[in-house]
Amino acid sequence: MSDVIVIGAGPAGLAGAIACAEFGLKVTVLDEFFRPGGRLLGQLYEEPSGNWWNGIKEAERLQQKTKDLAIDVRCGVSVFNLEKDELLWNVHTNAGSMKASYVLVATGSAEYPIPVPGWTLPGVMSIGAAQVMTNVHRVQVGKKGIIIGANILAFAILTELQLAGIQVDRIVLPEKSPISQEAGEPEEVLKSLLSAAHLAPSLLLRFGSVFMKNGLLRKIALNFYPKGGMKISGTPLQLRKAAMEIVGKKQVEGVRVVDITPNGATVPGSDKIYEADFVCIAGGLYPLTEITAVAGCPFQFVPELGGHIPVHSEWMETPLQGLFVAGNITGIEGGKIAMAQGTVAGLAIVKRSGKEAGSIDRLLQKSVDYVRDVRQHAPIQFNPGVDEGRQTMKELWVSKYGKEGKVIS
Amino acid sequence: MNDKDLLVCRCEEISDEEIREAIRQGARTITGIKRRTRAGMGLCQGRTCQRLVARILAEETGMKPEDIDPGTDRPPVKPVSFGVLGGVAND
Repeated sequence: MSDVIVIGAGPAGLAGAIACAEFGLKVTVLDEFFRPGGRLLGQLYEEPSGNWWNGIKEAERLQQKTKDLAIDVRCGVSVFNLEKDELLWNVHTNAGSMKASYVLVATGSAEYPIPVPGWTLPGVMSIGAAQVMTNVHRVQVGKKGIIIGANILAFAILTELQLAGIQVDRIVLPEKSPISQEAGEPEEVLKSLLSAAHLAPSLLLRFGSVFMKNGLLRKIALNFYPKGGMKISGTPLQLRKAAMEIVGKKQVEGVRVVDITPNGATVPGSDKIYEADFVCIAGGLYPLTEITAVAGCPFQFVPELGGHIPVHSEWMETPLQGLFVAGNITGIEGGKIAMAQGTVAGLAIVKRSGKEAGSIDRLLQKSVDYVRDVRQHAPIQFNPGVDEGRQTMKELWVSKYGKEGKVIS
Repeated sequence: MNDKDLLVCRCEEISDEEIREAIRQGARTITGIKRRTRAGMGLCQGRTCQRLVARILAEETGMKPEDIDPGTDRPPVKPVSFGVLGGVAND
């Protein structure tokens, strides 16, 4: 029997497993994909420093470490239930059930869909699916595509598609509606893009980030936003156009697009159909929390972290004894932060297990500080309010369970 | 395509209009909408549509997002065979 079962072999789960195993705990890692790495596998981008972040390499590095530490990594295993008997957690999977004292849930996030008429046509996919097909499976998703939805994830994957020689014709917004919400409002989109201005090699976005913290200047910028869009690594970003419908008889043939005003209202009679053979919908990410929900973990709605989040401490501990969380399940952020959080969770498990009583407190504190440090220097911020979101969760925990993470059972 | 026919729950093929009709009939929770329409009861168990249903509910009723219960996740959260559920490993 393992001491620890980690659900999810992405950056958070692997880092957590490694931290546990380094202190002698026996660890099993489960993942439903056929190889470990999680979303690291799709990542390939140039950092502001000029270095390239190659997620596949990073995943291989972590995998090698799990081998060195004799961690049992099982791929192709789906967890469908998590429950506790008196002492142990029972992890139920399609490959049988297993028990452990500690469980780290690092299931990451899922993509927010934006329904657009025609979105069930073959050739329409989420932006993340295009990334996995391109960078993991090496399958060309199409010859010429259109991305609906302008966010940081979409830009990162746009670059990856281009590196693979796949043409992306344009990025447009979804139609403004109560369902698409901010994703359909040019000003909100522009505001969110400013937090990643360095990723957008265009003068307005790069130099504009200073000026455009001012709402009036932002409105002016949108009023004069070029109709053809501004190029992001060669693909026009059209903040003043919205997708009304994905058209095609048996598969995607194009997207019907209209002009929109700076606040997202459609301009009648401006419809145009742009040809494409694939469409990516980029709605952003939300934490994938089902496993913690069936385990009985309490939740808190924190919009800056991506929605309903399992309540957790800075040690990544939930109020359920022996249950820990790390990575995007605790809030949408980048892979490096997920890794740092995984280390915190792993060290917190080591502490709870009673190992390394002497040095663990200091190491744990250091790892908590390191998460903040990584966050401050992160090139990509998925949500500009992430710090506030983390603070909200911290205060909630302290008010309910006390500072050191007194555990209820 | 008419917006009314826009599919929200792709697994069970439930349209935007069917979800709004369920709310008009009195559904005020994700679970209530699920019971009336089957939205979220398919293969993905609401991974795709649950958040969309929440937004439609907020739009129709004026409820705040934080007041909308995310619904009850129940095992199995991933599709498994009856054999596995019955305790026979590896299907």
